[in-house]
Amino acid sequence: MVAIDEVRSRLEDAFSGADVTVSDTTGEGDHFEVRVRTAEFSGKSLVDQHRMVYDALGELMSSIHALSLRTEPAQ
Amino acid sequence: MSTVLEDIASEVKSAPVVVYMKGTPRFPMCGFSAATVEVLNEIGVPFKAIDVLAEGDKREAVKAFTKWPTIPQLFVAGSFVGGCDIVREMHERGELEPLIRAAAETAAGA
Repeated sequence: MVAIDEVRSRLEDAFSGADVTVSDTTGEGDHFEVRVRTAEFSGKSLVDQHRMVYDALGELMSSIHALSLRTEPAQ
Repeated sequence: MSTVLEDIASEVKSAPVVVYMKGTPRFPMCGFSAATVEVLNEIGVPFKAIDVLAEGDKREAVKAFTKWPTIPQLFVAGSFVGGCDIVREMHERGELEPLIRAAAETAAGA
């Protein structure tokens, strides 16, 4: 089980100034919906954007059963 | 492990569209795999599906191959396209169908 605040703070630390939304879809700390909007995604492929998020979450990924991800480059 | 990786390296090129999923297209065992199959069915080009629950050694190997932490994983013309969210997003943007059709046509013409 992973705390929603931990997911959010990892992402905010990794992408400074990003617009980060996290929801725990089951309330059990293993299914999350994550949206990250940051200028750091500009010019990157979706695969690279998602990889950056996975990298930021690091070892938390192994405790998260399902992660639904939406990334968006900010202007 | 290295031989499984070699199998995957050739398997991703064995059809224009290859998906590694949990379960089968008719009986997907995970919502993300089901959603990916649904997009592929909507596009309507035949695809090769590998069930990582049935071929258990491929479950971790495909993740190592792409350095991508989740399943399903879609390959078009031998290249990794992404997981379920990317497949859905590309489909919404109308980017996935031309990519898949081009790969299918190239394979048919080869």
